[in-house]
Amino acid sequence: MATCEGCAFFFRVPEGEDDFEPGKADCVTEHKDQKGKYWLSKPVFENTETCQNYRKRS
Amino acid sequence: MTTLAQPIEYRGKVINFTPANPKEADIPDEELHEHLFAPSTDRTRRLKGRCRWKHASAGEFVEKGTRAGIERMRLITESHKESRGKPEVIRRALQLAAVLTKGTVVVQQDEFIIGYHAEDPNMFPLYPELSYMNVKDYLQSDYSPQPAAEAEEINNYWKPYSLQSKCEKYFDPIDLTRMYQVSTMEAPSFAHGYNSIVPPYETVLEDGLLKRIDLAEGHIRDAKAEMSKQPWDGTKGLDWISKIDNWEAMVIADKAVIIWAKRHARLCKIVAENFETDPARKEELFEMAEISRRVPAEPCKGLKDAFQVKWYTYLICHGIERYASGYAHKEDKVLWPYYQTSVINKSFQPMTYADAVEMVEMERLKISEHGAGKSRGYREIFPGSNDLFILTIGGTNRDGSDGCNDMTDAILEGARNIRTTEPSMVFRYSKKNRVKTLYHVFECIRDGLGYPSIKHDEIGTEQMKYYAQFSLNGNGATDEEAHDWGLVLCMSPGLVGRRKTMKTRSEGGGSIFPSKILEITLTNGYDWSYSDMQLGPETGYAEDFETFEQLWDAFKKQYAYTISLVIRAKDVSRYMEGHYLQLPFVSSIDDGCMELGREACSLSEQPNGWHNPITTVVGGNSLVAIKKLIYDDKKYTMKQLMEALKVNWEGFEQMQKDFKNAPKWGNDDEYADAVIKRYYEEIIGGEMKKVTNYSGGPVMPVGQGVGLYMEVGSRTGPTPDGRYGGEAADDGGISPYFGTDKKGPTAVLKSVSKVQENQKANLLNQRLSVPMMRSKHGFDIWHSYMDTWHDLHIDHVQFNVVSTAEMKAAQKDPEKHQDLIVRVAGFSARFVDLPTYGQNTIIARTEQQFGAEDFEFLNLELN
Repeated sequence: MATCEGCAFFFRVPEGEDDFEPGKADCVTEHKDQKGKYWLSKPVFENTETCQNYRKRS
Repeated sequence: MTTLAQPIEYRGKVINFTPANPKEADIPDEELHEHLFAPSTDRTRRLKGRCRWKHASAGEFVEKGTRAGIERMRLITESHKESRGKPEVIRRALQLAAVLTKGTVVVQQDEFIIGYHAEDPNMFPLYPELSYMNVKDYLQSDYSPQPAAEAEEINNYWKPYSLQSKCEKYFDPIDLTRMYQVSTMEAPSFAHGYNSIVPPYETVLEDGLLKRIDLAEGHIRDAKAEMSKQPWDGTKGLDWISKIDNWEAMVIADKAVIIWAKRHARLCKIVAENFETDPARKEELFEMAEISRRVPAEPCKGLKDAFQVKWYTYLICHGIERYASGYAHKEDKVLWPYYQTSVINKSFQPMTYADAVEMVEMERLKISEHGAGKSRGYREIFPGSNDLFILTIGGTNRDGSDGCNDMTDAILEGARNIRTTEPSMVFRYSKKNRVKTLYHVFECIRDGLGYPSIKHDEIGTEQMKYYAQFSLNGNGATDEEAHDWGLVLCMSPGLVGRRKTMKTRSEGGGSIFPSKILEITLTNGYDWSYSDMQLGPETGYAEDFETFEQLWDAFKKQYAYTISLVIRAKDVSRYMEGHYLQLPFVSSIDDGCMELGREACSLSEQPNGWHNPITTVVGGNSLVAIKKLIYDDKKYTMKQLMEALKVNWEGFEQMQKDFKNAPKWGNDDEYADAVIKRYYEEIIGGEMKKVTNYSGGPVMPVGQGVGLYMEVGSRTGPTPDGRYGGEAADDGGISPYFGTDKKGPTAVLKSVSKVQENQKANLLNQRLSVPMMRSKHGFDIWHSYMDTWHDLHIDHVQFNVVSTAEMKAAQKDPEKHQDLIVRVAGFSARFVDLPTYGQNTIIARTEQQFGAEDFEFLNLELN
């Protein structure tokens, strides 16, 4: 089963951050619609099951 | 070609009204507004072009794709289930923390001020803990959160916990049914969830949240030490329990807010490093990351910090911890220290005045795309806008000196440049205000923005002092603090600053509808024209009132019943808010809550009770017509009048004309004004003032309009002022009924100035001549008018300066007139987003032309 850890949008929360937890990351995705671009970030964990936005890290 | 005002002969000279800007002579009236949009930078032009407006028209969102999100509902529900057994205030803090630490954060292209309150910038959150009926309304619409089944399940979960369920059982079902008709009174806040707040922004900007956490933790240590003292005294020691819970909740909330801001910082950095290709924008994203990493944890140091922290604080207080409309703060005062640092001293985040103006424009666009999860009913009463947002500027400082500064000018200039309906603003007018700033105020009004509305600085300050005497803990506003006031929503002053501000609309707000109350007074309290039910006590039939005084007393009884019921509903809501809808973040940033260990909804230091009579003038004009034509002149009998009203004047056309032509408010007419002055002071204000609310002070009337003058007008049958059933009512608290003020602008001022007793505020809508205001004499005329208004001790005035030609052109070609803004009543709206019914009420307002008599009254010098 693929997990978030291997995703290009998976950005680990650095140690020392107030919300740091082992394996925790920001899932940051780019979106575009007729009004323009925007970026969303939500917390995920390395063993979270992948979602439809999954893109394998190159 | 533009239309010019006709020359006027005045004091022996012919006064011509050539345009102040000669180039405007060639611009057709129908397209004037198209030449007024002037964003200060390419960035703000782009931001406006891509703004995700959340405007509604006739209750529907104007932009496709706007809808409710589910994330907030989901996260607070999970937290509520997981926190069973904990103190309620801790549960509220944990719910906020869940949204801030687990929810989505957003950064958009081009923006510098960042932050949003839903999982997508096209969405807005819902609040099932406030009103399950409101959420149900969304579930049945195209704007439903998805997945809809999950949203339904969440809403059902909250039903027994919601404010509505907690409060309803304390009311007679008959009274509840009457309230839910929204025709003599607004529905109770526990049912609709509509709310407002004045966040103490200053503590966040000046202290930073780390200091607030330190303060709370210090209080907890002290409290525990006090509880440990011997010998134990249970009569005092147990008080610490709720205080400790409140302080602990504050710590949880503030820590979560810091994490949330730092998540934004990380997002900016990640976007800069992984997505953005433009080097300049990359650099800016790193700067944005640096700001959100530092603040609001630490105090603000520069103007960029201040704008960002203000926005984060706004989002939490108005959209995340709980829904609240408004944008109440004294913005020029809040930002002035940071303006001095960045623009004048250039010692931190150095920038120019023009950069500050751009920041203002960007902030206005953030407000413009803010989404409010209001019920359909509340979307309908603010047509052409997304919500009510009113900031305050001008006035006087604590020492009584002029409160205007260069930040005031930047706020006005940015607003004029970018031309958005939100946020509206109010200018506190004092004769101490510098002319340079007054000219900026005038330019915004002249360009048709409808704001700033103007409030009398001294009246507001005196009012804060008046209410302070009723403070339940003896800590109301001091004479110095009384100068620190802003409008809580459209019209009512309330304290701003670090402490004693209003935290919930159960203190002030909500409406009562005198025209409908008068209508049912004629029929023994029964509403035959709309709800077909008994809406008030049985006070007799009009045909049986032998004297005008009998009618007067019956109306007074109906009004007294209604006002007591609505204030009781607000106070019961307030009680439950303090027990189940606590605001730990708001509590943490209020110095009083912090010091006393109290929760923001329950603590009241400065009473500020008010309720909004809307449609008052239709009721007043009706009383005048009845007194004149039935009791004094005896031209008609009450029986004849009731027969005519029951058939909407059909077959009684001459009678309708007579009642329509009876003396009307706003013409300096001695007969009409005497009745209406008594009506305002003895009943509208006098009866309301007998009520004491949660905070211990009297409740006072704030005469208003918003879109309710249309909505309630449509629910009000034919009235004795000659109005047909269903027609809109009057468009403001003390504004003449549209088209009936025929004696010029100064006659209106004279009438309005006669009402002075027992009023908290009254909205005066005036429409001024476009050619006259845009002429070379425009500022001098307006300035003299304002000084006279001030001398007459009138509380408020707001202006439309938009031509009929342009509004009619917009009705024909809406696409071309997207930027045409009008003042409705307490807020401005995009004209094309108003329903036609509403558009026509604006067009019907008297476009006041100043004549020589008016100039004489203003003692105007014209060259």
